[in-house]
Amino acid sequence: MSTLTTDAGRSAGTARPRRSRRGAAEARAGLLLALPFVVLFLVFTAWPVLQSMIMSFTDMRITDIRTPFAVDFVGLENYRTAFADPVFRRAALNTGMFVLLGVPLTITAGLAAAVALNRGVGRLRAVFRVGFYTPVITSIVAVAVVWRFLLQPENGLVNTVLSWVGVDGPHWLGDERTALLSLVIMAVWRNFGTSMVIFLAGLQAVDPGLHEAAALDGAGRWRRFVSITLPSIRPTMLFVLVTTSIGYLQFFEEPFVMTGGGPLNATISASMYTYNQFGFGNYGVAGAMAYLTFVVIGIVTLVQFRLMREK
Amino acid sequence: MSTTPRPTRRTVTGLGAAAALGLLAACGRSEEGGSGAAEPAAPIAEGEATGSLTVWAMGAEGEKLPELIKGFEEANPDVSVEVTPVPWDSAHDKFTSAIAAGTAPDVAQVGSTWMAEFVGLGALEPTPEEIATDDYFAGALDSVTVDGTVYGVPWYVETRVVFYRTDLAEQAGITEPPSDWEGLLALARAYQEQADADWGLSLQPGGTGSWQTVMPLIWSNGGGVVDDSGAEFTFESSQNEEALAYYQSYFTDGVSDPAPADGTTEQDFVSGRVPMFISGPWMMSAVESVGGEDFADKYGVFVMPQKETSSSFLGGANLGVFQGSENRDAAWKLVQHLSTPEVQVEWFGISTDLPALQSSWEDETVSANEKFEVFRTQLDTAQAPPTVATWEQVAAKFDAQIEEVCKNDLAPADALATIQSEAQGIGTGA
Repeated sequence: MSTLTTDAGRSAGTARPRRSRRGAAEARAGLLLALPFVVLFLVFTAWPVLQSMIMSFTDMRITDIRTPFAVDFVGLENYRTAFADPVFRRAALNTGMFVLLGVPLTITAGLAAAVALNRGVGRLRAVFRVGFYTPVITSIVAVAVVWRFLLQPENGLVNTVLSWVGVDGPHWLGDERTALLSLVIMAVWRNFGTSMVIFLAGLQAVDPGLHEAAALDGAGRWRRFVSITLPSIRPTMLFVLVTTSIGYLQFFEEPFVMTGGGPLNATISASMYTYNQFGFGNYGVAGAMAYLTFVVIGIVTLVQFRLMREK
Repeated sequence: MSTTPRPTRRTVTGLGAAAALGLLAACGRSEEGGSGAAEPAAPIAEGEATGSLTVWAMGAEGEKLPELIKGFEEANPDVSVEVTPVPWDSAHDKFTSAIAAGTAPDVAQVGSTWMAEFVGLGALEPTPEEIATDDYFAGALDSVTVDGTVYGVPWYVETRVVFYRTDLAEQAGITEPPSDWEGLLALARAYQEQADADWGLSLQPGGTGSWQTVMPLIWSNGGGVVDDSGAEFTFESSQNEEALAYYQSYFTDGVSDPAPADGTTEQDFVSGRVPMFISGPWMMSAVESVGGEDFADKYGVFVMPQKETSSSFLGGANLGVFQGSENRDAAWKLVQHLSTPEVQVEWFGISTDLPALQSSWEDETVSANEKFEVFRTQLDTAQAPPTVATWEQVAAKFDAQIEEVCKNDLAPADALATIQSEAQGIGTGA
């Protein structure tokens, strides 16, 4: 016993310093390897984020870019300006509408496609998967050009098809009432591929045994989907919900290339209006608007995590 | 490994705190105020240009400029010029960040609406006396003049005239192009009533850049949006109101499409659906390439119809030499070279950009086309947009109100009152 103990003690005694020395070396190597990232992160991510936050509390304008420190602090004035701006309020409303319509539609479409591909479609699965995912990887500019043709009032494909069934289609992008809706539909089409791919992965993890057992108990397809599939993919659902919401809250490319925010500001988004303010050189106000978006994204994400957490 | 994140996090906080403290300590505006009167320009050194120059130019100009520079390099064997093409979309941002970082080029093409802003940033050198400015079109010279000082030179110009289908006008019983506001409206109506046109005249119902079509009407009516000193906005006036009401009448009377499709101007012009529009010289080749070989005989151009005067929008781009250029003498020599009448004509041959110098128009290659002659006439009275540092932002507000006027029947007086207060809120940036 005693020899064993001493042996163990000795071996432990010799091993510990060696391991910790190696540990220190590993830590140093780790630090060294992480250093490029840390430096890049600090310089190009953390600092600009901090800087833009500071900027949002100053009266910085484009004329100050050569002397960025010679500006005055104005407290919350820029935030007040942002809230008082009717166009910014309209932009926030548009963004809200876009998220409220777009996120559920994207998730439903993605989930439906994933379920269909997971079960129903046999050999053509790969073809459909590629087909549904292609819009995600296509350039927004190319997509915008094609969609503009499709939505053309006079001889666009959409209105031509509608005219076959006797419907006089509207000027989708030129009419205030339909412009935002058109962008929502385009965004859903363009983005549901991503959620589909993630849902497909999530569906693989659903225990088939549970389905079998429930089927034996007489549960129908819909019942099994609601009571087994949906609860099983809750983590996946949360991930898709959060990433889609963040993406849609930053809604920018669609109005930027399709409508320029028009007609009559019907499609201008918070991000796009912020971008315009940066372009005009109102860095302080633009910074404040960007931070408001950031805060909203933070709150929405937090709420989603709360609502979707395991009970 | 578990110990590594801690110092990192501490470093971040430390850095952040240090930065914030540094900012707090360094912040606050100096009492100097605005830029004040410009320093007079130093003369250009004698002799040939030497050394290396960087030149930025946008879009098609950026691609074609190297060809034009060859002549300069042949005349000055010791100089090497590097042209960097910059896409228009990102040009403004690239310039402002380069100015901030002190890495601006020696010479660059400068958009005419950026002049005041760049001068406000202290980025452009005033033009030395050796470069004569008396041969430029008046509107073009205005676009390089900020607070009475000339910065750089106009490089090329463009202006807007009315394009119309002559064959369809004849069909509608009109053989002479109209010369006043009533005549323009009458021709547009005649197209609709007697030549099966859906719309009489293509006008932009608001949206980006629609101010460029409204401003000529305002100027033609004796109005304006900035006072002579460039310090006050003057959107509210009876002349401006009348001009905007005239523009609005095209939409309320069903002569112009209040919701036109994007990018169909050429097709609609060729098909006769919308046989009249207002645009610049680049549309000549655009409609001719859609319309085919003999289409050039089916349409004509005429100067903006007259109210008090016949005024139009003067666009184009300028050449500027940037402060801090390490080779400013060579830079100005290049600008001087590019603004000789012969080189302007050569550039017209390469790019079809209209010469900014009046004497270049005497050359055969420019004056041969009679449609260009119309542009030549219009250039005499065309006006440049106001050289106000915040003009782009004010113009965006203007565009938004024009859209309300055209699509929502907003009263022109109310729209102008709104723009006036918005523009005053934005300020002239001076």
